[in-house]
Amino acid sequence: MTLLDFARGPAMQFAIFIFVFGIVFRLVGVWAMRHKRDLSEPRQPSAWKGGIHGLIQHAWPYKPFRDKLMTDYVIGYVIHLGLLFVIFFYKPHILFFQDIFGFGWPALPNGVITAISIITIGALVIALVKRLTDPVRRLISNFDDYFTWFVTTLPFVTGLATAGNVWWHYETGLAIHLLSVWLLLIYFPFGKLMHAFWFGVSRYTTGSRFARRGGMA
Amino acid sequence: MSDATTTDIPVDLESKRLTVTRPDIRFDKQGELGDDERVQKAMQHFAKDFGYIAANYMEACVHCGACAQACPFYEANPDPKLTPIWKLEPFKQAYKREAGPLSFFYKTLNLKSKVTIEQLEEWQELLYDTCTMCGRCTLVCPMSIDIATLVGMARHGMFHAGLVPHELYTVTEKAEREGSPLGATPKVFADRVEWMEDEHEVDMPLDADKADVLVLMSSIEIQKYPESMAATGKILNQMGKSWTFHTEGYEATNFGMLSGNTQWQKDMTMKIISTAEKIGAELVILPECGHAYQALRWQGANMLGRPLPFKVQHISEFLAEAVESGAIRVNKVDKSVAFHDPCQVSRRGGATPAPRKILEALGVELREPESTGNLNFCCGGGGGVITIHRADSLRYKIMGNKLEQLDATGAEMMVTSCSNCRQNFDDSGEKLHWDKQMNSLLELVAENLVEDTKS
Amino acid sequence: MKEQELTLGEELRRQGISRRSFLKFCAAVASSMAIPASMVPAMAESLAKARRQSVIWMSYQECTGCIESLTRSYTPTLESMLFNFISLDYQHALQAAAGRQAEDALHQAMEDNWGEYLVIADGSIPLKDDGVYSTVDGHTNLESIKEVAEGAAAIIAIGTCAAYGGVGAAKPNPTGAVGVDQIITDKPILNVPGCPPMPEVMTGVLTSYLAFGRLPDVDSKKRPLAFFGDTIHDRCYRRPYYDLGLYAKSFDDEGARKGWCLYELGCKGPITYNACATTKWNQGTSWPVQSGHGCIGCSEPNFWDKDSFYKPLSAGQWGSAEGIAIAAAAGVAAGAAAAVVSRKHQDNLAGGNKS
Repeated sequence: MTLLDFARGPAMQFAIFIFVFGIVFRLVGVWAMRHKRDLSEPRQPSAWKGGIHGLIQHAWPYKPFRDKLMTDYVIGYVIHLGLLFVIFFYKPHILFFQDIFGFGWPALPNGVITAISIITIGALVIALVKRLTDPVRRLISNFDDYFTWFVTTLPFVTGLATAGNVWWHYETGLAIHLLSVWLLLIYFPFGKLMHAFWFGVSRYTTGSRFARRGGMA
Repeated sequence: MSDATTTDIPVDLESKRLTVTRPDIRFDKQGELGDDERVQKAMQHFAKDFGYIAANYMEACVHCGACAQACPFYEANPDPKLTPIWKLEPFKQAYKREAGPLSFFYKTLNLKSKVTIEQLEEWQELLYDTCTMCGRCTLVCPMSIDIATLVGMARHGMFHAGLVPHELYTVTEKAEREGSPLGATPKVFADRVEWMEDEHEVDMPLDADKADVLVLMSSIEIQKYPESMAATGKILNQMGKSWTFHTEGYEATNFGMLSGNTQWQKDMTMKIISTAEKIGAELVILPECGHAYQALRWQGANMLGRPLPFKVQHISEFLAEAVESGAIRVNKVDKSVAFHDPCQVSRRGGATPAPRKILEALGVELREPESTGNLNFCCGGGGGVITIHRADSLRYKIMGNKLEQLDATGAEMMVTSCSNCRQNFDDSGEKLHWDKQMNSLLELVAENLVEDTKS
Repeated sequence: MKEQELTLGEELRRQGISRRSFLKFCAAVASSMAIPASMVPAMAESLAKARRQSVIWMSYQECTGCIESLTRSYTPTLESMLFNFISLDYQHALQAAAGRQAEDALHQAMEDNWGEYLVIADGSIPLKDDGVYSTVDGHTNLESIKEVAEGAAAIIAIGTCAAYGGVGAAKPNPTGAVGVDQIITDKPILNVPGCPPMPEVMTGVLTSYLAFGRLPDVDSKKRPLAFFGDTIHDRCYRRPYYDLGLYAKSFDDEGARKGWCLYELGCKGPITYNACATTKWNQGTSWPVQSGHGCIGCSEPNFWDKDSFYKPLSAGQWGSAEGIAIAAAAGVAAGAAAAVVSRKHQDNLAGGNKS
């Protein structure tokens, strides 16, 4: 079995198993903790609307905070949109999903994907530099933050290298790229990458709690 | 745990801000517990709060540090440790190690170490002196984490570990023992009601057997701004309400909640609830006090364990309804006004529109600062912070920023609906030589009430 | 025997091939093998001086496709002359002799050229059950390869089967088939994989061996670097379509007609090292991708077992959705269990027990 066969076969199956298992495990694990009923009289019914509002509201900073946070938000969006486009709109990736889901969708030209990847890596590097130099972020960061950065950046780098075929062997490069993605998937449920789910849960929780009361969203 | 030697400090009635006099020797540790016992007590009470809501907030943090940019304390002193989420570190650490779904890994592999006594002692300042639980950080948080609620939870563990700042513990203990944190005992309250009745020629029913409305006061108003009582009486009388003050349940403040003792919080709340039930009140009006609104309106039923059998309103909500329904009429005030939203009433309480309706009825020109309403910038005095002497210098700095924002509106008159904010403006304003004064919305309404004699 | 003493140059002259044609041939081989042009005269000179080389061709578990590929040419070429020049002393598909005669010829050739003959092998060699699945003259292929290898100067494994086991070794590999280098480890071995391999590679390798007296440089899979240095994908004339993201989605759609990239139809070009894209087949007429079909990766080890030829390369080897359902169900169970344990532990802590 070559490295590529390993990456495409057992490694992938193991990674996806852990990925799905871990995500469900962590979500259920938190959900199944004690829920305390709020007995106070709600100011308004249908708090869920506030929950939905909260989901959207926190996607962009309120005006008084924009001066201080705009750069961070822009960097954040570049990284997240970069991930989105590269993962879901690069033809070979679409073919991967197509194999699993049975349907595909239009792709972006490879040159565009390459450009997005380079920009995203740039944004990731800036984010890391900011994390290392900003006293606040430096204080509150832990292993998870840096390792998450590493496992997120690695597939971009290995992917670019594979697409550009700078490896000594294309198939080894492809295998390394795949393995780097599996590493991301395996780590995903156990670190802060889970914010892909928590952001919804947390924003909804605050949004609906305060919709009940009125006040902030 | 009550240690008479440490709480036996008199309330300083002379100062602009109401707290106990500065202790000569600080006792920021209560009781005689050993270090291990303190940690154990903290864990015991942290554990009680590790429910679903706290859990998903603590899972959600991505360590982006944005919360620092919203915090009035960090703005006044950009020390990274004042980052709001960092104030929760021991609580979060305990959660991850003991309760979260991954706690097995964290604990077995010791990825999150045990919370230590040194940590807890270090965090006293972060959890008490430098957080008013104003909740502004939540607004800026991309994950919308309600840090203020978590700080409130973390204080439970801190209280039971005996790690409350000396003055805050003292006033809390006084409240439990005397019924008021700041010397407004039932007797003092009755005296001052009588005094105000004479002074302002307003009938103020005290201890009526039956009344539709039970009116509460905060000890700050009783002691510092007694005109509030007269103002409330004047308006309720004008409306022809059946109402009363009651010496068995008058104190709106709840230092049990602020300092982290749930039992004492419940004791204070139950006094109000049983009094209201006893006199058959349909409505309990809370005074111009921020955290009182939080304690009764939003936490009261949860303390009781069932929905409250009466309605609870902040005085501003009550007045807004009254001016809207035409139950009272007010004269126009030809002034420009900037309104300071009390965090616990507006952002965290939801009564944000109420004062604006009243100000509209008063016909003032409302000038809102950039951060207003739900986005309001905290005055820095809430959450018990104003009682702590060692927190003064930072509090003044925050007020400096706050005053700049208010002054920038160019308004002639400053108004708020929280007496705690008001005393902070009085105290800090004097310190900072502010040329204006913070006024009470309630008193403003009372002064401009159209008194007719149709009845 | 007299013939054997002629050099290649003499032989070519005897057949009326001009020096100019010979130099052109040398230049072509040199360029295909990435030998600098300055080396061509020297190469031609040493090639012209080369003596007939004894070659013993052993066929094992094979389909004869390799020898078909290498010998079938439509017009007589210098390449075929080259084949003629070597002394193919044993090749049981081509030789006239059969049975004992043939085996005797083999042993005679081995004896005459001990230590100098070249062995060409095609077909895989079964190992299972002592190799009984393929025998010649009562000897298993395993015994045979060991015997001929002993006196060989070098071995050239022709075709994917001889190189890596090929079709014979495809799952479940009932005969335990392997390539030559799995058995012989003490001789220089060169692989010319492909199913079938390209004749031009064979020519190049032989020419190089005759001219320089040694096998050309190889990669980690023992393939001549000159031909296997790049992937099909890297040299493919359809590569620009890949870069533009233009893919044929079926074999008869608009994209297929326009000659777009066949990646989506399962082309294995990106992981296949061979010279098809540049050298092409049948005297440069065409090659699979040009004819509209993706590369199946026939020159790579285990190409049969790398999933469907029509499955895109980036698609994984997906087990089944069941695996995901099981993972999710296990997650629910484990999550709930963790929460129960956590609740208990919290009660314990809240009750004042030590953590």
